[in-house]
Amino acid sequence: MFQALPPEPAPIVAPVQPGVIERSVATEGEVRVAAALTDAQVKVDSSFRGASIVLYGAVFNPTDTPADVVVVVRGPDAPVRLVKKTRNMGVWLNSRPVLFEGAPGFYMTASTRPLSDVADFGQLRRLGVGVDHLRIDAPQESRTVTRYGVRDVVVSRLGENYLDWRRAVIRLKEAAALYNTDPDGVQFVDKGLFRAEVELPTVAPTGKYYAEVWLFQEGAPVSVSNLTLTVEKVGLERDIYEFAHRRPWSYGVLCVILAALTGYAASRVFRSR
Amino acid sequence: MDIYLPIAEVSVNWPFLVMLGALVGFVSGLFGIGGGFLMAPVLVFMGIPPTVAVASQASHVVASSTSGVIRYSGMKAVDYRIGGIMAVGGALGALAGVELFRYLRLLGQADLVVAVSYLVFLGAIGSMMLYESLTQILHRVRGETPPRKERRRPMWLYGLPFRMRFPRSGLYISAIPPFGLGVFAGVLSAIMGVGGGFILVPAMLYVLRMRANVVVGTSLFQIIITTAITTILQAGRNQTVDIVLSTILLLGGVVGAQFGARLSGRFRAEEMRAALGLIVLLVGIQMGLELFVRPSDLFLLAPGVSD
Repeated sequence: MFQALPPEPAPIVAPVQPGVIERSVATEGEVRVAAALTDAQVKVDSSFRGASIVLYGAVFNPTDTPADVVVVVRGPDAPVRLVKKTRNMGVWLNSRPVLFEGAPGFYMTASTRPLSDVADFGQLRRLGVGVDHLRIDAPQESRTVTRYGVRDVVVSRLGENYLDWRRAVIRLKEAAALYNTDPDGVQFVDKGLFRAEVELPTVAPTGKYYAEVWLFQEGAPVSVSNLTLTVEKVGLERDIYEFAHRRPWSYGVLCVILAALTGYAASRVFRSR
Repeated sequence: MDIYLPIAEVSVNWPFLVMLGALVGFVSGLFGIGGGFLMAPVLVFMGIPPTVAVASQASHVVASSTSGVIRYSGMKAVDYRIGGIMAVGGALGALAGVELFRYLRLLGQADLVVAVSYLVFLGAIGSMMLYESLTQILHRVRGETPPRKERRRPMWLYGLPFRMRFPRSGLYISAIPPFGLGVFAGVLSAIMGVGGGFILVPAMLYVLRMRANVVVGTSLFQIIITTAITTILQAGRNQTVDIVLSTILLLGGVVGAQFGARLSGRFRAEEMRAALGLIVLLVGIQMGLELFVRPSDLFLLAPGVSD
C-alpha cells in the first residue's frame, strides 16, 4: 500500500542543530503523511452521547528536517447569526443580527506544537488552518440585504467591530465544544506513528466531515492527506427526524393525537381506580 | 439514563424529564392551568433550544389539559359554547402568533419579547392574584366579613353586538369579548409556549364574571384547542416539535395532573390563588431579570436561518 520506504523516522523530539541541515538527503524518498480514522461513520441513535474517534497515521520522513503534524477536522457549513446585547436605558436589548456565512458546524485542530510555531500567519491563513484563520465572513461589501422581509445588517470586513464579532462566533462555538484547538493533540506513539482524538459533542451537526492531515516542514506544508467522516442519524432517530422534516404537517397532527390519547387514557385509568 | 432527542439534537436525562413533566402536570391539575410557563424555563436551562422547548411542551399541555377536561366534563363544569368561541379566537391568534414569533426570531428579538411578555403578564397577574387572595385570607383570619364584591359586569359587555346566551356560564353577553380573549391567549400560546390559562382564568372570573365552577374546565377546553393548533403549526412551519421530548414530558404530566386535580379539592380557594399568584410572580421576575442583569457574554447566537 504505502511506498516501501526505509522507515527513517522523523526526529521530532530531538531536532538536529539548526544551520547544519543536509537537504540533499531527501533525494530518494518522498516526505509524506498517511492517515486513517478508526471509525469513518458515526451513528447517532437514542443512546448517542457524543463520540470519540481516533485518527492515526504515519509520517514518512527520509530527511533530517523535523516535521510537524496538524490535523484539521471540519463539519458541514451552516450560516451563523449573531446578535449583540446592548444596554439601552437600563435594559439589555439585542442588536440587529449579523449573518456570518460559511462557518463550519464543527471545527477542530490538533497538532504536535502550537500552530503559531508550526507555520507563520500568512501560511496558516492561506490554508485556512486554525480557528483564527477560518474563512467565516460577514459578506464583504458593506451593504444591507433583505432576507425573509427582514433587513440583516451586513458588517463590513473593514469595520472596526468586525473582529469582536468574529471572535464572538468562535468563542460561542468553543463554549459549545464545537470548536477546539489542541496544541498537543497529535501524539507520537512510536517513531513516525501518531494518533489524535476527534471528540464530537452531542450537539455536533450531522453530515459530512472533512479531515485534513497536514505535514509541515520548516513552516511550509509538504504533504496532506484527506479523509472523510460521516455523522448520521440512524434507526428511529433518523425516521423521526426525516418524518418531521418531510411531512411536517402530518407529524404535527400525529403529535397532537398522541398527546390527546395519552391524556384520555390517563383519565380513564385513574377514574377506574 | 440519557436519551438523544432527534429534533432538539441534544441528549438529556430522561428520568429527570419524566419528573419535571409530573411536577408541572401536578401544578397544572391543582390550579387548572396549562403549566407551560413553568416548564419552558427549566427546559431551556437543561440546554434544549428555546424554540424546541416552547413548541414541544405545547403538546404536553394538550395531554394534561385533555385529561383535565375529561374530569371536569364529567362534573358538567365545561361550557363548550363559550369555550368554542374562545377556541376559534385562539386558533386565529395562534396562527398570527406563530408567524409573529418567526418574524421576531429573524429580527433576533424573540428573546426580548419572550422575556418582556413573561415579566409583564406573569408579573401583573401574579401580583393581582396575590394581593386579592391575601386580602381575603387576612379578612378571614381577623374574623371580619369580607367586603362586598363588585358583582356587576362591565357595561361594555352588553353594549357590543352579537349577543349570545351561555347558560352554563350564566351569561347573556356579546360574543366579541370571549373571542378577543381567545385571540389574545392564542398569540401568547405561540410566543411564550403557554396555554394562556393564567390569563384566561382571571379574565373569565373578573371581567366576564362567569360562574366560578365552570371557569377552570372551560379554560382547559380552550387551551386544548389552542395548543393543539400551535403544536401543528410549529411542527409544520418551523419543524421544532420534538416528539420524543414531548412524549417523555407528557407521560409524567398526565399522571401528575390526575394527582393534582384530586388534591385541589382539599384547599381553600383563596389559599390556592395565593400560592399560584406567588409562583406566577416569581417565574415572571426570574424571566424578566435577564433584561436588567449584565449578560455574561454580550454576544449571542440567534437561531432562525436554516428554516
